[in-house]
Amino acid sequence: MSVILNALVDLGYILIFPGFLFCFLCGMLLCGIERKIVARMQKRVGPPILQPLYDFFKLCGKETIVPTVANKTVYLAAPIVGLAALVVIQLFIPVFNFTAFAGNADIIVVLYLLLIPALAEIFGAAATGSPFAGVGLSREMVTIISCELPLVLVFLAVGKAVGNAIGSGVVFSLQTIAAYQAENGCLLFKASMIPAAIAFLLTIPGETGMHPFDAAEAETEICEGMLAEYSGKPLAVYKLSHAVKLLTLTSLFVALFLGGLGTGILLVDGLITFFFCVVVIICVVALIDASTARLKIEQLFKYYWTVVSGLAAISLILAWFGL
Amino acid sequence: MFKKTIIESTGKSPWLFHINAGSCNGCDIEIVSVLTPRYDAERVGFKLVGSPRHADIAVVSGPVTKQSLPRVLRTLEQIPEPRCIVTCGSCPQSGNVFRDSYSVCGPLSKYVHVDVDIAGCTPKPEAIMDGLLLAAQILAEKKKTGNQEATLPNPYAPEKTAEEAKPAEEKTEEKGEA
Repeated sequence: MSVILNALVDLGYILIFPGFLFCFLCGMLLCGIERKIVARMQKRVGPPILQPLYDFFKLCGKETIVPTVANKTVYLAAPIVGLAALVVIQLFIPVFNFTAFAGNADIIVVLYLLLIPALAEIFGAAATGSPFAGVGLSREMVTIISCELPLVLVFLAVGKAVGNAIGSGVVFSLQTIAAYQAENGCLLFKASMIPAAIAFLLTIPGETGMHPFDAAEAETEICEGMLAEYSGKPLAVYKLSHAVKLLTLTSLFVALFLGGLGTGILLVDGLITFFFCVVVIICVVALIDASTARLKIEQLFKYYWTVVSGLAAISLILAWFGL
Repeated sequence: MFKKTIIESTGKSPWLFHINAGSCNGCDIEIVSVLTPRYDAERVGFKLVGSPRHADIAVVSGPVTKQSLPRVLRTLEQIPEPRCIVTCGSCPQSGNVFRDSYSVCGPLSKYVHVDVDIAGCTPKPEAIMDGLLLAAQILAEKKKTGNQEATLPNPYAPEKTAEEAKPAEEKTEEKGEA
């Protein structure tokens, strides 16, 4: 009996709360808020906050064209694999002290899963055989490599800081990090963690393909790159997974640096987390998106491997010396 | 289940793809000006996209030259249904000053079903905005009826007099009473 009950609860996690439905609604809302804020910063009225939802449903009703030269299976499966990976990441990210699926090495799992949406997009794009997609996917590969190094350094820095405090090595469990913050306050207010937090915030636009790091999907020069041949429902799923990625990365930031603020009531904690996600979006992602122009791909690579990685490395060194 | 939502959303998020068919660049600049803070077409969901596969509305400017005709038609075919084709400026509608030139194949309506014509040389941003909003309504109508050549009732048609507006049946009844 309890086996069935557990399975049902797990299914609920996957489909409803930190899983699919939550990702769908909150991701879309975040995306809408981001667009609205960017518009307001440019002195425009901006689209309604529900605009990404309208876009999604409209795309669902459009004809799906599969190019004749495309590999149909890969072409249609790629967006779904990417979205599924993002929903799984969301299950590992703690909301105050609640985690749907917890393990000893969450961070490593999250790190690998974060690659899957981009990789799926690359496979899907390669399957279309479009030259625009070819240019886009080579740029996307460089973007992934650029973002990966600072991300690993940030995770290591946070893991080491928490590990020092609780007297073990590097901590790779998000739940332990959340529990530590619940007792000792947010990691963001620790001097040694501030550079790492800034580095993480700067990787969010790169990972989600926002200005100025959107060389991979530059719609004005390479027809949106990897998405050039997609239309209809697969495109809708891609748009959804871009929105969910925004939620995943911001809520990961909240879990790593702003954790430990909560009441223990799941619903309220979820709302608090979402509120912080919105704050991060408004203060960082939208601000950078509205005020910058597109960087060339080599500039992007150089920027991430020097400035952002440097910031993360400073944090890691400070944490290593127990500051 | 979502059919109603989809139809509603279709009218609320029309994405534009702009095709230059030999235009003098005047209309192209005016189309971009519709997206500026002053007119801000994004507030009603318009977005300029880079690939015809993502588009709902194709905005064609220019007199459709011999060189561009096959490319324009091929691009228009790549837009997934339901789609709307809007001509911007007088050129694709009538040929404008380029009419009867040896290198001009227009008007565009000879080759495809055009949904909205925005006249002017160049049309004002307000006129373009009006035309695009009309196209968005037609788009929703097309999704609703499934008819690719659906149109809206003409809002500028002369108003019918009270006599004409009455259905035929009522008239005969009145006569019978008299």
